Amino acid sequence: MRKVTHTYSLTPEWQLDLAEQLNTKLIDNKLINIPNDLGEGFFYFSQIMNGISVVYADFTLKEPLKITRLKSQNELFIFHFDLSEHVNLIKINHIDYEIGSFNQLDLAILDNEIESSFKAAVNERTIALRLLIDKKLLHDFVQKFKQKENHFSKNKTNKKAFYHYGNIDSNSILLIQSIKNKSVKDLSFDSFIKGISLKVLGNFFNKFYESKDTTTQLTEIENDAIEKTKNYLLNNLYGPFPSLTFLAGMAGMSASKYKSLFKKHFNNTPKNLFIEEKINLAQKLLKSGEYSTLTAVMYELNYSKLSYF
Amino acid sequence: MKIIEHYYGADLNWVEHYAKQIEGKIKGNFIILPEDSQSGTRYFLDCGDGIIAYYINVEYHRNFELIQKNPNPDFVGFYYNLTEGEATVSSGHFMYNVGRWQYNLSVIDGSLESRYNVGKGSKTFCLCIFIKKSMIKAYAKKNNIVIQNIDTLVNSQENTIVRFDRMSSESFHLLNDLRKLEVGGSIFDLNLRGTVHLLISNYLKKIATKRIIIQTVNETDLDNIITIQMYLINHLDHPFPSITFMANMANMSESKFKSLFKKITGNTANVFFMENKMLLAKELLEKKQLTISQISDQLHFTNNSYFASKFKEHFGLSPKAFNKQL
Repeated sequence: MRKVTHTYSLTPEWQLDLAEQLNTKLIDNKLINIPNDLGEGFFYFSQIMNGISVVYADFTLKEPLKITRLKSQNELFIFHFDLSEHVNLIKINHIDYEIGSFNQLDLAILDNEIESSFKAAVNERTIALRLLIDKKLLHDFVQKFKQKENHFSKNKTNKKAFYHYGNIDSNSILLIQSIKNKSVKDLSFDSFIKGISLKVLGNFFNKFYESKDTTTQLTEIENDAIEKTKNYLLNNLYGPFPSLTFLAGMAGMSASKYKSLFKKHFNNTPKNLFIEEKINLAQKLLKSGEYSTLTAVMYELNYSKLSYF
Repeated sequence: MKIIEHYYGADLNWVEHYAKQIEGKIKGNFIILPEDSQSGTRYFLDCGDGIIAYYINVEYHRNFELIQKNPNPDFVGFYYNLTEGEATVSSGHFMYNVGRWQYNLSVIDGSLESRYNVGKGSKTFCLCIFIKKSMIKAYAKKNNIVIQNIDTLVNSQENTIVRFDRMSSESFHLLNDLRKLEVGGSIFDLNLRGTVHLLISNYLKKIATKRIIIQTVNETDLDNIITIQMYLINHLDHPFPSITFMANMANMSESKFKSLFKKITGNTANVFFMENKMLLAKELLEKKQLTISQISDQLHFTNNSYFASKFKEHFGLSPKAFNKQL
């Protein structure tokens, strides 16, 4: 197995060392082609803006290669998006994590202070996008992240450094997929990859901030249907409770689906809601003084026994 | 008619003057507008590297004439203009209709004095990108692009760059995506910068592939083709109309229609239709209101599997997988 080591920085110097170890040349401070004996493909590096850089890797290996990233003093976070259709391994603190779009866990966030190594599968096309981001820029983000930490199943935090492991959202997958179809030699590639990277990052934060409000989403049609049945219930408080099957039929869904959606929407079951409203109505009727006896109210509301009422 | 004289530039010095002219105030990166004459959002951002982005999404409540006179003409302005309504750009010897269904991409040299007329009730969505000329030159050199006579091209005394064109549908959808986002905040800034880079990338690709500049096409032909484009976009939930039908509608022979359509939009009519259908399908999926099979039916696909395979072919991801990770 071939082994190479490297460090990351926001500026292009770090590539020189890597290129040397791979016995190849650094082109234009951006491009490292993988030598033929090792496989086919390239690494592409570009500085996007102050505090953000990107590394894009697209290669197929002939023999195993282990790329170890040494920890360095640069205060960075590394967002690793993996779109390979097979499993690659990332080793963090001596634990191997599988990564790749194959098993749906395709995003890793690493801290530059922790050493990690990346082992790509042999004879498969590996595609990965790595964003290097200055910690200062992400300050706000990190703090929120730590508060939310419990919500993520597979992340561990030690005092200063952390990493996280999760999913990429669909739109970002589409964006990264579209890089695949471009040629590095194209003159538009550089601004293309910059644009994609920024949008991917934007999507990530969007998802991140949005995930806070976990209101369950119903589609408009479902919403309307459920509102309709609720109105029906409220307008028919004098009668007996119509069956669940009837209500579900009215909403145009199965009884079980109807029940669960209703509960999500109103935090109550249809029957319970019906009874509560009925009792409220009974109270109103009693207070109104228009009925002489309890029994009269009872019959009005379609109860059969006074004691039950 | 309200007449306003203002200037732009590849740095943010113009903002203050501009805001004052339209009687607005600057707040953060926003220009707060006076409600009586126009409403909406104006947002500016320095994207670094001598690039300024200016995002406009407003509705005009009266006629405006904006006269652009730049004291420092060292930049080129790219205007991606999707106005629904009446808008024209004019200068001494020319006048063009701009807007979504007209020339929606204009590239205008900063040294040119131009007038922008926009009618009452028009809804403008426009992204302006101002790039320093020295940047363009440096960029072209760095990337070994041979633009003929680049020195004379960026030398404002000898040559002014003025182009009126239609943006590619890829660019159009980029702008559409941007439009969906809430303006302001660091996330939006990331997206805006990203969009600007992608637009520049698209434009460079266009230069490199040397697609014809639309200005050279006969105007009635152009109008006809654009009408067909509009027709296709408005009928995405119908089956593909035949070439014969469209050629008839455009008053051309089939072969002329086909070649002209490809020249102007960069794609054949069928590919254009399918592409927009797929993008619409994606938008519908994002809204989460319809199931995959409902979408497939609505967009007139024969069956779900054909829809799924087309979706996968286009985006590299099946609709189900797309839905799952939304």
